[in-house]
Amino acid sequence: MTAAAAPERPSTPLSYSGNDDDFLRMLFKGSLLLIPTFGFYRFWLITKIRQHLWAGTQIEGESLEYTGTAKEILIGFLIALAILVPIYIVYFAISIVLGEKTPFANIPLFGILYVLARFGAYRARRYQVSRTIFRGIRFWMTGSGWGYAFRAILCDIPVLLTLGLAYPWTAAFLERYKMRHTYFGSLQGDFAGTGSALFQRVWWLWLLGVTGAAVLGLTIWGVTHLDPKDQAGMIFLITLFAILCVSFLSAAFLAVRSRWLIEGIRFADVALSSNLRKRNMVWLYVKAMFWFLTVALVFLAASVIFAMTKMLGLSGAQAGFGWASFVAIVISIIGYLTFVITLGIVHRYFLTRGLWALVTGSIAAANLDALEQVVAAGGPSGSLGEGLADALDFGGGL
Amino acid sequence: MGLAVFYDGKTARRRVVSLVVTTASLDLYEDGETIASWPCNQVRQHPAAPGVLRLGPENPNSLARLDVTDAGDQAEVFRNCLFLTTGARKESTGRIVFWSLAATASLIVSAYVLVPILAEKAAPLVPVSVEKQIGAAVDKQIQFILGEKTCNAPAGAAALAKLSSRLSSVSPSKIAPEIQVISSKIPNAIALPGGRIYLFKGLLDKADNVDAIAGVLAHEIGHVRHRDSLRRLMQTSGTSFLLGLLFGDVTGSGAIILATRMMMDGAYSRDAERQADENAIAAMLALGRSPRPMGLLLSEIDKGENGPIPSMLSSHPLTTERLETFSKRTPTKEGEPLLSNEEWTALKGICEVKEP
Repeated sequence: MTAAAAPERPSTPLSYSGNDDDFLRMLFKGSLLLIPTFGFYRFWLITKIRQHLWAGTQIEGESLEYTGTAKEILIGFLIALAILVPIYIVYFAISIVLGEKTPFANIPLFGILYVLARFGAYRARRYQVSRTIFRGIRFWMTGSGWGYAFRAILCDIPVLLTLGLAYPWTAAFLERYKMRHTYFGSLQGDFAGTGSALFQRVWWLWLLGVTGAAVLGLTIWGVTHLDPKDQAGMIFLITLFAILCVSFLSAAFLAVRSRWLIEGIRFADVALSSNLRKRNMVWLYVKAMFWFLTVALVFLAASVIFAMTKMLGLSGAQAGFGWASFVAIVISIIGYLTFVITLGIVHRYFLTRGLWALVTGSIAAANLDALEQVVAAGGPSGSLGEGLADALDFGGGL
Repeated sequence: MGLAVFYDGKTARRRVVSLVVTTASLDLYEDGETIASWPCNQVRQHPAAPGVLRLGPENPNSLARLDVTDAGDQAEVFRNCLFLTTGARKESTGRIVFWSLAATASLIVSAYVLVPILAEKAAPLVPVSVEKQIGAAVDKQIQFILGEKTCNAPAGAAALAKLSSRLSSVSPSKIAPEIQVISSKIPNAIALPGGRIYLFKGLLDKADNVDAIAGVLAHEIGHVRHRDSLRRLMQTSGTSFLLGLLFGDVTGSGAIILATRMMMDGAYSRDAERQADENAIAAMLALGRSPRPMGLLLSEIDKGENGPIPSMLSSHPLTTERLETFSKRTPTKEGEPLLSNEEWTALKGICEVKEP
């Protein structure tokens, strides 16, 4: 229905114009600063990245603006710690005292974290949306984090029972909840995407995924039962193959889902469309995987060389403790930190910035004239959700 | 004078305005009428697309924005508005690093100073039944780590039970000690929360007489009496929890494993060790036996040690002072031997399983 009406509307493409060199410079500097700050700098790095991405995103030549500050999310993180640490301590005490008798004592903890994760995801979205300014007007959100968590958890039941087949419908339901609680000033958002539309676009991916998993399961079963000698090589090949398949499938799925999510967005007459191609998304993932593997291999080689020189050095120096082993430990720690930080850089460059630029560049907006009537409304939301997202370590992406 | 795009922060209406930059203010005109005048020193810069200078008023609640694209105008703004980047937006990296280090230091101080004090005060408040449950959990971990079997050849077990009851009779404890020999070659003995004591076969092998072993066991019973193990467990788990927090492990899942490992090779405080020594000496004297053999056994291990250092010694190498304490105290009246020769031989052979 909407697809048929779309061509009549004058539509304006969005563009991403962020400067790549600036971004990389900021990313390297920020990632290095993570070391002396024991990771605390991540709040500043995340904020700078968002400022950069938002500012680079232009709609009719007007760029978005991110007004969140690092201090806000640091405070959100501290509040999240104040909530989580007592929970963990109680759990810690319970598991020590009851550990023996009740092997499932940690299930309630996972339950609590699961609810908190959903709650945090919604509140993180509220935070990010309400820090987004366009044409001098704030985007903002209503709706309750608990209400969303409750709905999201209810939705997980059919998804689990149908091995994911029910996902398109639950996703449409949840996205409607999110978008109907999202406002641009006085203009309420809506979501027009339907479960069946998404299902029609992803069912073959689901089928491939399920078949692949079954084949993989059978192959592993075969390998463990048949040839005990070549197991290691086979397992390596199978793992590599499985990783590639999963990456391909998830990239394709992400492309289809993103397109469906974007095309469902409505603000009164304003509608978005997207020409995101699966192959572009897959290519982005291939590049990311290539760099992840390269970084991993380089560090693996480096640590092997380091271990060998250490062994040679020690056999020469009569296995003496003291400075030599101290220096070795320091080098190992620095090496490990560099490794983790390099992986973070690859991730943020490809899967944060690259993904953002790819998706933004695919969007076109129709009927932007409707925005002229919008009046400022709403206010910024708190940053607890961001803090929970950080502490529970799931990215609350917009 | 050039054109710029203005949003008043109240409506989303795009207005193309003429911008006049003077030394005092930015004046915006629309259709010849002034619609806004921003004092230069109150204008702040906001992030925008490359090539665009986005300005707004000082008040962070105001979302009024002016996008200046004309290069000449931008230069004028930079020349006249000197506080573009002043305020909350500008945070010095040095300050962030400083406060991160301060937060880290505070966590480390809490972990190594506050947690031990807290554990010291809190351990006596834990009910004995809870300590026993904790002990059972730790025991499971320890058995998993050691992977060694407990020894219980019948004759040896009987000798051990006799020795245990004799020691308990002179060293009463709210938590009953429960001694077991474990077939590890390391010369060591450890006390767990809840009263379980593991005597390692390696230590039994090194001992020449029963008094040395009795002294070591009485020392461990002293730890059980004073609940040192519980205190140490609380302290190490608290410390590792806080340090885990620092490295991003909010769940503290690593803490419990680390804490139980510390039971194996971590050390008690010097005071706890002295108290346990006192307990050992008092028990031996009450039984009319000399504490000296225990001191000799410990110093022998101390000298010959080049592997992992047993917990009894690791906190502080056996000082001559400590050895003297054992040596100079002699019983006023010699008591009967703690075990007969046959029983001692049986105890030493507790790990030998006889083939039927």
